[in-house]
Amino acid sequence: MTDTTNRLRRRLIAGGAGALATVGIGALSKTALAQATTVDLPFVNGKRNLVAFPEKRPMIVLTTRPPQLETPFDVFNEGVITPNDAFFVRYHNAGVPLSIDGDKHVIKVGGNGVGKPFELTMSDLRTQFKPIEHVAVNQCSGNSRGLFSPRVTGGQSYNGAMGNARWVGVPLKDVLARAELKNSAKQVTFNGLDTAVFGGGDFVKSLDVNHALDGEVMLAFQMNGADIPMLNGYPVKLVVPGYYGTYWVKHLSEIEVVDQTFEGFWMKPAYRVPDNDCACIEPGTTPAATRPIGRFNVRSFITSVQDGAQLRAGQQTVVRGIAFDGGQGIRETAYSTDGGQSWRTAKLGNDLGRYSFREFTFAFTPDKGTYDLRVRAWNRSGQSQPMDALWQPAGYMRNVVERVSVTAG
Amino acid sequence: MNSKPAIAIAFSALVLGLGVGALADAKTITLPIEGPPLKASPLPGYAKAQANCVACHSAEYMLYQPPTAPRTYWEAMVTRMKVVFKAPIDDADMPVIVDYLVKTYGNEQPK
Repeated sequence: MTDTTNRLRRRLIAGGAGALATVGIGALSKTALAQATTVDLPFVNGKRNLVAFPEKRPMIVLTTRPPQLETPFDVFNEGVITPNDAFFVRYHNAGVPLSIDGDKHVIKVGGNGVGKPFELTMSDLRTQFKPIEHVAVNQCSGNSRGLFSPRVTGGQSYNGAMGNARWVGVPLKDVLARAELKNSAKQVTFNGLDTAVFGGGDFVKSLDVNHALDGEVMLAFQMNGADIPMLNGYPVKLVVPGYYGTYWVKHLSEIEVVDQTFEGFWMKPAYRVPDNDCACIEPGTTPAATRPIGRFNVRSFITSVQDGAQLRAGQQTVVRGIAFDGGQGIRETAYSTDGGQSWRTAKLGNDLGRYSFREFTFAFTPDKGTYDLRVRAWNRSGQSQPMDALWQPAGYMRNVVERVSVTAG
Repeated sequence: MNSKPAIAIAFSALVLGLGVGALADAKTITLPIEGPPLKASPLPGYAKAQANCVACHSAEYMLYQPPTAPRTYWEAMVTRMKVVFKAPIDDADMPVIVDYLVKTYGNEQPK
C-alpha cells in the first residue's frame, strides 16, 4: 500500500472491517489491489465508497458506471495545483473509451459554417501550432449540490468536484482559422469519443463562435506536465478557462461550426440556470427563463482545518485556503472568526494567473472557546459571495460564504 | 515514434515515467467492478429496474439521491431515459419502475 493511501485511510471515517471490500482496479494503477473504504459527506444519505480507478488514487465514488469521482477535500490543502491522480471525473454516458491510441487519434473539423473542413491528427496538433498554457480551475456545474437546502436531485457532490491544473495545448482559434469560417458561423459544437449506450443523448456541447475564437479556449493535450489521464479526457480535451466543466469536452474528436444556436439535450434543457443576475430563484419555484450555464462565480474555501477541528488555545495556527472566480482574478480575501460580524484581510499567495486557485493565509491565535470561521473573496470587478446560500432547481453554482467551526481548548 | 515532437516526449516521459516506445501504443484502462446493486424489493418494479435501468448505468444514480426525492422526479427520470436516451423500456413497465424507485429511494420509502 502506498504512503498516499495510508495517509488517506487514516483520515477516513473507519467503517469497520465489515465495510471493507476488495475491489479490482485498473491496469495502469501502481498497486495491484486497493481496499474500498467509506467516507461520510456532511448531508443526509452522504455515505460514499472510496475506490482507486485507473491512474487515480482512492477517490469518492459518486457513480461507478459511468465513472463520476470526487476529490477528497484534504487534497486541496496539498497545494494550489490539483494532482492528476486526484482530479475529479465526470462522465454523462456509459460508453466510456477504454483504449485510445494517442498518436492515431483524429479531430474532425467541419459543419455548415466552414468553407474548408479538415481532419487534424494529434501529431498535427502538437507540431503545427504554437502551444499556449493556462493554469485554470475546472469545476463541475453541480459541485456542492449535496449541500443545497432544500435538497435538489442530481449528482450529490460535496465540494470536491473541482480542481486546478496547468494545461498546455493549442488555441481553438488557430485550429478554426484553417477551416475558413463563413460569415454565417454562429456556434461551435464539440463532441468526444464517449458514447451513449442506446445512441440517444450523446454528450455534445456548444460555445458561441466569438467565445470559441477568443484565443483562450484551447485544445489541451497536457495536464500538469503529463498526458491527460484517460478518465479526464486523454488524449485531448477542450479547456474553457473560467467556464464550468460541462464545456470541457473529453476525448475531443469532432468540432462543428454551425449557423444556428445548437440545442442538443446537454445545452437545452440540461445545464441551464435561471436567466437573472444571481442565477437564483426562491426555493421550490420555477425560473421564468433560463440560459446555458456560463462562467464560475466567486468561491473560497478554508483547506487547512476541517469543520469540527480542535485547536490549542493560546497557540497560533496559520489557516490556509483557496479562492477562485470565473476569470477576473481574485483581488482580496477576507476572514472572520466571529461568524461574519467582523472581517480582516487575509494574505494572498502567489498569483498563478486569473483562472487559477489563489492561495490565502491568515494567522489565528484562539482563546478557549468555539469559533465560527468564515472566508469570503472578491474578484477584480468586485463580485463576491453571498452570506446566505442562493438556490436554483438544478443545484448548480453554489458559492455561499463557507463556514468552518473550530474549538480551542 | 521518430516523428514525435521532442517537447511531447520530454513532458510525457518525465512525468509519467513512460518509455518513448510506450507512446506509440494505445493507452488502455480497466474499470473497477461495479458499486452497490439495486436494493432488493418485493415490488414488481425491482426486476424491471434490473432489466432496464442498470443496463445503462450503475445503481448509485438512484441510491445517492436525497430521500426527499418525490414521485415526480422519478417519473421525469424514467421518461428521460426512454425519450432522450432511447432506453428500450416498455410503456407498461414505466409506472411499475417509478413505483419501485420512489418507494425504495425516494420520499415514499417506509419510515
